[in-house]
Amino acid sequence: MLLIDLCIQGLIQGAIYALIALGLTLVYGLLRILHVAHAALFTLGGYVGVVVTNGSGSFLLALLTAMLIVGFVGMASYRVIYKPLLMRPPLIALIASIGVFIASEELFRLVFGAYGLSYTNPPLKGQVEILPGISLSHARILVVVLAVGLLSGMGWLAVHTRIGIAARATVVDPAMAASSGVNVETIRYASFFIGSAFAGAAGVMVSLLNNLVEPTMGAVPSYKALAIIVLGGLGSVRGALVASLALGVIEAFGTIYVGHILDRDSIAFAFLIMILMVRPQGLLARG
Amino acid sequence: MRHYIKSALSTGMLATGVLAAGVLVAGSMVMSASADTIKIGFNVPLTGFAAADGQSALHGAELGVGQVNAAGGINGEMLELVVYDDQASPKEAAPLAVKMITQDEIVAGVSGSYSGATRAAATIFAESKVPYISAYAIHPDITRAGDYVFRTSFMGEVQGRAGAKLIGEMLGKKRVAMVTLNNDFGKSLATGFKEQAGNFGIEIVAEYEYSIKDREFGPIISKIKADKPDAIYASGYFFTAGPMVSQIRAAGLDQPVVGQEGYDSQKFIEIAGGASEGVLITTSLDRDSSAAETKDFIKGFAAKAGYPADMVAASAHTAILVLADALKKSGSGDKAALRDAVAKTDLTASTGHISFNALGEVQKDVQVQIVKNGNWHHHSVISDAVLLAPPAQ
Amino acid sequence: MAYEIVVLTNMAISILFALSLNVITGFCGQVSLGHAAFLGIGAYTSAILSKAGVPLVVTFIPAMGMAALVGLVVGVASLRVRHDFLAITTMGVVFLFTGIVRKQDILGGEIGIAGIPAPEFGRIGLLVTALLCVLAYLLFVIRIRKSWAGFAFDSIAEDEDTARLLGIHVPRFKLFAFLVGTAGAGLAGALYAHQIRFIGPDSFGFVESISVLAMVIIGGIGSIWGVILSAALLSALPQFFQIIDDFKLLVYGLLLFGAMRFAPDGIDGLLKRLFRRAGGTR
Repeated sequence: MLLIDLCIQGLIQGAIYALIALGLTLVYGLLRILHVAHAALFTLGGYVGVVVTNGSGSFLLALLTAMLIVGFVGMASYRVIYKPLLMRPPLIALIASIGVFIASEELFRLVFGAYGLSYTNPPLKGQVEILPGISLSHARILVVVLAVGLLSGMGWLAVHTRIGIAARATVVDPAMAASSGVNVETIRYASFFIGSAFAGAAGVMVSLLNNLVEPTMGAVPSYKALAIIVLGGLGSVRGALVASLALGVIEAFGTIYVGHILDRDSIAFAFLIMILMVRPQGLLARG
Repeated sequence: MRHYIKSALSTGMLATGVLAAGVLVAGSMVMSASADTIKIGFNVPLTGFAAADGQSALHGAELGVGQVNAAGGINGEMLELVVYDDQASPKEAAPLAVKMITQDEIVAGVSGSYSGATRAAATIFAESKVPYISAYAIHPDITRAGDYVFRTSFMGEVQGRAGAKLIGEMLGKKRVAMVTLNNDFGKSLATGFKEQAGNFGIEIVAEYEYSIKDREFGPIISKIKADKPDAIYASGYFFTAGPMVSQIRAAGLDQPVVGQEGYDSQKFIEIAGGASEGVLITTSLDRDSSAAETKDFIKGFAAKAGYPADMVAASAHTAILVLADALKKSGSGDKAALRDAVAKTDLTASTGHISFNALGEVQKDVQVQIVKNGNWHHHSVISDAVLLAPPAQ
Repeated sequence: MAYEIVVLTNMAISILFALSLNVITGFCGQVSLGHAAFLGIGAYTSAILSKAGVPLVVTFIPAMGMAALVGLVVGVASLRVRHDFLAITTMGVVFLFTGIVRKQDILGGEIGIAGIPAPEFGRIGLLVTALLCVLAYLLFVIRIRKSWAGFAFDSIAEDEDTARLLGIHVPRFKLFAFLVGTAGAGLAGALYAHQIRFIGPDSFGFVESISVLAMVIIGGIGSIWGVILSAALLSALPQFFQIIDDFKLLVYGLLLFGAMRFAPDGIDGLLKRLFRRAGGTR
């Protein structure tokens, strides 16, 4: 029973990782850039979620607003940070991105206060017994539903729509795609929008699970999400999903059974290094 | 190319020189305040991850200085706080300690910062023979830096022992699961708790560790559920404990949760909401105290900061009052006399009656507070001088 | 003067630390997001030895040795994983390092190591020692730069596969870069431990690794003088910025972004442009 419970806890954490890592892996696939500032968008999602819910009383409205706002801010981040640096070595964009991330953490603190914000009346607190003896809050179930829904929706877009097919073509060979009439810029903006909106949704959900958004909420995702997309094979969407879930479960078991030897982050990175030594290209190669 | 390197070299040296000069000028420029005030150095994290606690500590210290000055200062002279942001980093705190001592000419220092920064600064204060009081940093070695270093908050071990008494004797719970925060605070609490657990008939069913960055405790809570303890002793700060307690209750666990001064903030109750009801902590601040010092502080803090007082603020406030009291008694600007006066402190401040042992550790009662109707309230007091005796060397 | 000496010593240590990463990332093109682990290894080695009574200068050798030993292991890993995969692997190294230190009681665990003895030659002596270390390392690095190894590094950084075609023994030079770079970080760590005289796991984490990488990149990848300047500047910023207080980290973040956005070649590039304009064509 405990083992199943731990698996479920791990998968929920994995679903959150997946929502965050998706945007990162999309950006990497298109631009070959490690987009650290993505974690600031995740935090922004949390803040919008709390502010709108407390203001309007509607959590659904907050979730949608957060996805929309964060999506647009994500597009702006491409325009402001990365577009001018595309011709430079990727390290330049990485440092610029880290700079923006540090600055936004401080900006959140200055605007919303160092103590962070909480929901005055946290929604979705009800419990459902999903298996005998194991019950989950509505919020946790919504995390899983959102992750499955959003990610499979994107999978459908990628296979069945013109823009999805064009996006995949651009990832494989940008020059070829451009010469076949694909507007590469549109693809980039669209990818930033979708990836950021998903991170925003993840931010709202995490803020609800913790009932707290702090300026430093993005600190862990800022590096853990990088580990996930590398583990998944850099740029591979499917790989990132597998890696997210695997890492979630491994961390869940790790904190219980080896927590006295290594902390959670070290467990994750020990796993990452082991996998990379065996498969230097990550779990799933790009495709 | 070679030519370029040569010219770059000379520019480089020039620029380094200019920079070094800049440091000198900036250093000597900043502090040139009036000479007829008594300056107290205050290092505190105002930016970065520890900024929330830093802000509270600063409010607490400023409140203390304001109260002293309003009551006529130190024999007519006003106190002045010289504040520096150390980002809770040892690397930043060390040069700042040197700066406060050599340039700002402070008579004494107070740390409103975390352990690492405080420990690094304590060495410098001790060797420069300038009194230094750690308001709430928990590191066991801080006071061992030297005779000039004091601490007005409990050591982790002491509070851990009080926690064992609270759970084993006062609540009568014997099977305890521990959730330990992975840092010096959590570790020293766990040490004290385990040391006394046997004496109070406590059986430690399991201990789980987590990092200060964790806000998600699903796996640990699932395991605790399977362990079926009578009580949970969980170390943490309000920002980890808030999510933890709310997740513990959401998972259907109804055992008593016992925490420590790290929980001690209104923000904890705000985060955990209804789940916080009944949570017990060992701390320094009694919200329902009838002592005038404590009541004044709680009222004054809320008015100044705009939010309710917490342990960090009370500790910083206490440290300032201890210094002010010692300044009054020692009379002169002599730092050795001031140090001796601090060591002989016998004062009632916002966190109770304060005196120091030979090492410079505070001796005072532990307050047990409980959350009732969305506020911290008095539960009981632990005043067992033997149990709570801090190490004397 | 005492304060200026402490700040200048901090600067010297940062310069040494940044120069050491510059060998790995700047010269050889191997991105490391975990260089602080080696600063930590040097600091812990030196701190433990010096608490046991070994004179500071003697601890330099084991501090460099331990750091280089672990650096060699990471270097071997760099032969297996490349580019961004390597960057994230090195990031894993720093998390593993702090994770392991946290749980080792001999290393002080979470409590860290306090009471590290003051260097026998005082604050000014430490500054002079640090400057001598910087100078020695600098001369060594310049020598490498001008030697055959410098050429080999350049071509590996440019394109590993082409370097291989040119007959350069890529693994040997990569390992050499890691060896030299991590030994330098170990030396910086030994100095750091005796400058702050308190060390704990939190001082050698990911954030520290990022800030040293920022020093190298803002200096101009591979440029020795640019890196020295930017390390001096960035390490002293928090002390300078005491005046702007609440906005310190905000400004730091924007500075990183602004430097990359408007001067992607770093200080080195800025200087070059300046010289072109002043000195005409070359």
